[in-house]
Formats: sequence, C-alpha cells, structure tokens
Amino acid sequence: MSDPVLQPVSRTDGFVVRRSIFVTMSALLTAIGFVLMLDRYTGQVKFWEDYVVLAVFPLLFSQISVGFVLAIYGFFDKLRGGDPHHIMRGAWRKNEASIPLAATAIVVPVYNEDVGRVTRAVANMWRSLEKTGQIEHFDFYICSDSTHPDRWVEEECAWLSLCQKLNAFGKIFYRKRRHRINGKSGNVADFCRRWGKRYRYMVVMDADSVMIGPTLVRMVRAMEANPDAGIIQTQPYMVLGTSPFRRILQFSSHVYGGLFSQGCSMAQMASGSYWGHNAIIRVAAFIEYCDLPLLPVPDPGKRHVLSHDTVEAALMRRAGYGVWIAYEEPGSYEEGPPNLSDMLTRDRRWCAGNLQHFWFLFARGIEMGSRLQIWIGLMGYLCSPLWLITLVAGSFGSYFRQRFLMLSAEPEDLSAASITPTIELVALTFVLLFVPRILGILTTLPQAKSYGGGFRMIVSALLENLFSMLMAPVLMMFHSLFVLFTVLGVQIKWNPQNRADKGLSFRHCLKLYGWLSVLGLAGWPVTISYLGTAAWWLSPIFAGWILAPFLAWLTSGKGVGNFLIKCGLFVTPEEVNTPPELQGLNEDETEDDAKGGQPSPLWVQALLSPYVQAVHLALVRQGSTGKDETPPRSLADLRERLVREGPQAIPAKDAVRLLWHGETVFWLHQELWTRPKEQLHASWADLQSEAERSRLLKDYLLG
Amino acid sequence: MNTATDQSWNDAYDRLVVYLRTYDLADHAHVARVALDLLQQAKDAYAKDSSREPTALTLSLAQEKITEWLAFNLPQADLSRSNLLSAGCIAILLSGAYRTAPGAFLTSPVPEEMRQALRESLISTGPDLNVSSMTPRHLDYGPMLQFARQTWHRIDLKELIVAVAFWVAVFVIFHWWLSQAL
Repeated sequence: MSDPVLQPVSRTDGFVVRRSIFVTMSALLTAIGFVLMLDRYTGQVKFWEDYVVLAVFPLLFSQISVGFVLAIYGFFDKLRGGDPHHIMRGAWRKNEASIPLAATAIVVPVYNEDVGRVTRAVANMWRSLEKTGQIEHFDFYICSDSTHPDRWVEEECAWLSLCQKLNAFGKIFYRKRRHRINGKSGNVADFCRRWGKRYRYMVVMDADSVMIGPTLVRMVRAMEANPDAGIIQTQPYMVLGTSPFRRILQFSSHVYGGLFSQGCSMAQMASGSYWGHNAIIRVAAFIEYCDLPLLPVPDPGKRHVLSHDTVEAALMRRAGYGVWIAYEEPGSYEEGPPNLSDMLTRDRRWCAGNLQHFWFLFARGIEMGSRLQIWIGLMGYLCSPLWLITLVAGSFGSYFRQRFLMLSAEPEDLSAASITPTIELVALTFVLLFVPRILGILTTLPQAKSYGGGFRMIVSALLENLFSMLMAPVLMMFHSLFVLFTVLGVQIKWNPQNRADKGLSFRHCLKLYGWLSVLGLAGWPVTISYLGTAAWWLSPIFAGWILAPFLAWLTSGKGVGNFLIKCGLFVTPEEVNTPPELQGLNEDETEDDAKGGQPSPLWVQALLSPYVQAVHLALVRQGSTGKDETPPRSLADLRERLVREGPQAIPAKDAVRLLWHGETVFWLHQELWTRPKEQLHASWADLQSEAERSRLLKDYLLG
Repeated sequence: MNTATDQSWNDAYDRLVVYLRTYDLADHAHVARVALDLLQQAKDAYAKDSSREPTALTLSLAQEKITEWLAFNLPQADLSRSNLLSAGCIAILLSGAYRTAPGAFLTSPVPEEMRQALRESLISTGPDLNVSSMTPRHLDYGPMLQFARQTWHRIDLKELIVAVAFWVAVFVIFHWWLSQAL
C-alpha cells in the first residue's frame, strides 16, 4: 500500500499568512520573555542551577505565549463575526436544507458506565433527531467494552428497553466486544470493520456526550457539501455539574473554551483538533487511513497508541482530508470530572497518551499543523516537570548566590543576590496569562444573563481564577509524577470515568493530598528563612499545596455545589435554559447511590430470569444458531463451581467467560431451577426469590 | 423404587411458583392454577418413573411445557431449545402479553390476536455484518526511530562515551554562550 500524498485541503489565501503570524507572534513573545529573563542574570554570579532555569524558561514561556496568541486570534475572529473561510460558512449554507443526508452511524462506546445515564442520552438524541424529520438517516450503535458482568447484562436490558420505548428496533444496536483490544480506539475500529461500509459518516460520542438533532443533521450536510473534510469536531461544552469542581470547570469551558477553539480554528484551519468525541468522521477515509500504527518500541505490550484522537487527526490530515473545528455549532455537550481525584485519574491516562505522541512529532508525512497539535499536547504535560525543575533550580541558584555574596561582598549587595523577575517580565507574564481570560469574559459579557447576570459572572470568574491559581501547583506536582511514571513505564490502568457528583471523604483527600500540605507547611518557612524576600514569589505555590486536601474535599460534594447554585455562581447557559436533550439525564443519581448497596449481583439474573436470559442470549448469539456450543472443559468445571459455591465464589472475569457461552448460560438456567436445594449453594434460594423483583426487570424490561 | 416425601413435593411446588413468578404474569390465580396443573403432571410422571427427584422433575416439566407452548405459537420452531425460549420470552415481553393476556400463558390454543402479537414481536438484534479491512498504513517514524533503535538494540561503552561527550559539549557551549552574552 503506497503512502498517501498530502493534498492542499481548503488552503485559502490567508492560510499561510495566518500561520506565519501565529508562529511569529508566539516566537516573538517567547523571545521577549527570554531576553527579560537573561537581563536579570546579567552581571550576576551564576551557578549551574541558573543555567537549568535559563534552558527551561523559553520552553515554559512559549506555552503561555501560544495560549495568548490563540486567544487573540479567537477574539479577533469573534470581533469580525467569524471566519469567512471556515468550512461551516461555505456557500453550501445558503441551500443547506436542500442537501440530502447520507447514512450516518452514531457510535457510543461504553466501558462500565452508568447504564441509565447512557441510555437516557441516546433516547434524548433520538427524540431530538426525530424532531428534525431526518431520523431515517441515523442509526445508533452502543458499542460496549464493559468488563463488569453486571454492567454488561444491564446494558443489554437497557438496550431492549430503549428500542421498545422508542420503537427503534433495527435502528439502535448493541454490540459487546469479546476481546477488549486497544481501548476506545479499538472499539471504534471494531465498529468500522463490522459495519463501517454501511455508513458514509459516523459521529463518535463519549459515554457522557450529547448532541442535539439539528447540529447532527448540519454536520452531515457539512460533510456532504465538503468532500475533502475528513473530521469535523464540534465544541463540546461541559454541562450538568452539581459539584463545585465540575461547576467551575464547566463555567470556564463556557467562558474561555470557545475563545481558544475559535483561535485554534483560525490559526489551524483544516489542521484542527479532534478530541475523540462529539465529532463527525468520514468513515471510508477513516477505515482507509486512520487505523493506528503500532509504536516502534521494543516492548510489544506498549506499542498501542493510548490517546488516539490526535494521532487519528494527524493521519486523516496526512491522507489529504481536512480536520475542522466547528466552534460555533450549538448543542454539543459532555460532562466533566466531578472532583479533583477523578480529574487526576483522567489526566494520568491522558498524560501517558500524549507523551506517546512524541513518536509522531518527527514521523514523515505528518502535516505541520498536526505536528503543532502534537507539540501543544505534549507540552501540556511536560510543562509541569519543567516548571518544577525551574522552581527547584531557581531556588537553589538564589540560595547559593546569597551564600556566595555573604562571603565575598558588602552586606548591601545581598539585596541583589536573589534573582527576582523584573517588573517588565512579571507584567508580560501577567498579560499573557490573564488577557486571554479577560478576553473570554469580554466576549461572554453580552450573554451575561445566561450566566446569572453580569455581577455574578464577574464574581464567578474571579473565584475561578483564584481556584485555578491554587490548583496549578497541585496539578504541577501530580502531572510531574505522571510524566515520571510514564517514563519509568509504570502501567496505566484504564479505569472507567466516574461521572457522578459524589463527594470525596476528607479522609480520602487527606490520604491523597496530605503529602502536599506537609510539603507546603515544611517548605514555606524553610524557603523564607533561606531565600528571604524572594520566597514570597513562591507563596501561591505553597498556599496551593497546603490547601490541597481541603480544596479537593470542599469542591467535590453537592452541598457546596447547591450553595453555589443558590448564590447564582458559576451559572452556565444550559442551567438557565435547559435544552430538552439535557433534561432528565441524571435524574436517578440519588437512586444510583442507593443501588450501590444492593447485595446481590445483577449478572446472575441472566441465569435466573427467563426474560433477562432471553435478551442476553439474543445478543450474545447474534447470527449464531446456538446449536453446537459444547463448552470447553474449563468452562464446564467453572459452571459446576458456580452452582455449588454460589456467585460470590466466581470472580468477575470468570463470570464474563460464562456469560459469553450461550449454551452454558442456558444450561445454568436449567440447572439452577431444577436442581434440588441440597445440590445448590444456599445463596441461590435467595437469588431465585429475588429474580421476580430484580432491578433489571423493574427499571428496564417490565417498567 | 424411591418414595418422595410430602416435603419434597412441597419444595418442588414452592420452587415452581417462584419460577413461574419470574414471568411476572399479572394474573396470580392463573399462575397458581398452572403451578398446580404442572405439579400434578409431575406427580403422574413420578408415579411411572421415580428415578428423578420431585423438584428436578417438576421444573424440567415446566421448562419443557413452556418451550413447547412457545414453539407452537411462534413461527421459528426449527430453532434450538435455548434460542426458542429466548425468542419467545422477548416476544412475550415486547407484546406485553404477560400483562394483557396473562391467562393465556401455557394454555392452548391462545387467542389469535395474542398469537399474532407474539409473532410480530420477534426481533433481529443486529444488522448483518458488512466487513471492511482496516489495517494501519506504514508510517515512517523518521530520524527519532533510527536514533532510538540504536539505543535499544545495543549500548556499548563507545556509544555511551560519545553520548556523554555530546551532552557535555552541548552544556559547555551553552555555558560559554551565556557567559559571553550576560
């Protein structure tokens, strides 16, 4: 197979100028910062720690410069009313309604998720599409990779219930993958291999994603009108948060997120970002060009690309198709992590994935814009250890200089011992950090009513800034550890994302973040005693560390979240005017809490309840007659053990093995009901009695 | 010949009732009637052949009767027993027969409209496969791969010295440049 040749996709006249200005401005700002930093070292005695600081500084400064320039681009684009060369503003929009739609699959990959939440989101999207009158062009695929047998069986029952309620048999499908290879990207690739040919487009979602019907329809039309578009990524806004942490994130995603996306789109045009969900993809091109290559590392277990989206975008771009960000399209939503611990769990995964992208940075045939995306993603995590190194090296450099001067100079010279940034450098840093935020607020102010009013919006923004400032040093420490773990090859466990706003216990917070408090409480006085006034520059960092357990705990629960809602703080437009697609999504969260205490496993209902078993067998035997399924010896022993020792004796992994074998499931159904109680484990009597009032029947099948 | 005790028949009856309740039939009296009828048939069978224990005999009989009843009412009699039960139970669920016509469960003949509803409630679970080949294209990882490969495959003393010398040189040049510049 020959390598694809990069085509000049949608390169309008302004493209080169835009990117040149973007790179030049970023480089210039970095250079100014570096010169100001160098200036502080002029005439000073230097130690090797100072050279470390000077070596790392441009890398760090370049990141805030890039962010600043993107925000300026976004602001400029907003002021002029949008990019006239953007794919979503093409001539096709004039006759939009006349563009016929093509077959599109909405792919919802799930992995041990809250099943009720997923199915309600699918139902809401279905109803929204129905209202557009274009539902016939869309099919839904719930592609499960769940490893927990309870989740698996629940997903199956939920699928039947969904199809029945929406009269969507033959339109909503459920597929459970037997071998969970390559995580989410493998899940989507598996869909493509099985059914990709049936569809021209697929909309890839996350388990917590929701998109409104009109936007889905418009995305398909945009793809139809632009055959060189490979991926169109919508801007998903975080919604439905009740915990303070999630509310702060969703507020900042609304106020600042759009600005950066717009700036990124203006600078990158057809080499935009793909975030792995809430995006439409041209299936044939994806199948042809975007299967992820293995990484060229010696350990076969580490060759899989963990974070697939950026690489897929780069491969799509390499094949000559455009990757666009549809930043203006409304009605694209996701949910953020509910607390700091869950965000860190997610970040650890992303960190490992982004660092792998290093390989693609120098790969041949990758477009410059894609390299830029990879670089930004890479530096997103590498900046943390670099920042930490700078802080430590800078502090030691100052200390050694102070000692050197004490021994060799007049006392009045000691004031010059510490390298404190010049006022110009501080001012420039503040401008680069805070101007994007101010621009975000300015662009949002006209819609202040949707954010609880102008005053509340400003107060929310100030609190958000304070929170971000205190969180930054905490994230720096954890991200540095994640980078270290990744480099050392410590395995990353792919945990399902927790999407419920359940509070963290203070004990948990103390256990996880207490070491930072100790570090802060011990480090602050020590630094002050050794560095004197220079240590005050480090105060926000120590403050963030000391307060970490308290902040993590305070921002995780619904109590403070409800108080913030009452005060009208961190309000987002979807809270003021909730679209129907978001209504009722988290309605049974309280019920879910109660469900957590349910003693009996759900999966045994696939063996006991005729209805649950029927659904399970129908799905597990898709396309098979089930006539020749002699179980292997190991399975025969396992099922006998289940009967004799009860479900608690069977690990989840073995339960999944049993459930995969249709004949075994049927055999167990017969045996568990026909065997006299003396031949069954005592727990089965209770489970049999529970079978008629199982949650699966109540919530899904008989509800 | 074994003789079953009253207790063992009580156990069989209790298990049978629990089993039939899992079908969630709205007519509880009908469930009781069906249970008694099945129990009697099991006792009759036991009288002829007492090799099986009452619970096993009664519940096996119940499952057989349900399969036969479904086979009679569905157009897919050629399916395996497990698939027939699966299709039948889904049809009962989707047609709502457990609520609308609970009295028809295990009776023959069933009302024609119910039979029709059951037949119309058979479902297909997934679309036919339309298989594509999706394989990764060759990607040349460029100079970094060459560099890394050499490191992975063999690190000898000479290369180590060269690498250390290289980085020392870089640091010295950087140091010299900064000393001149500042």
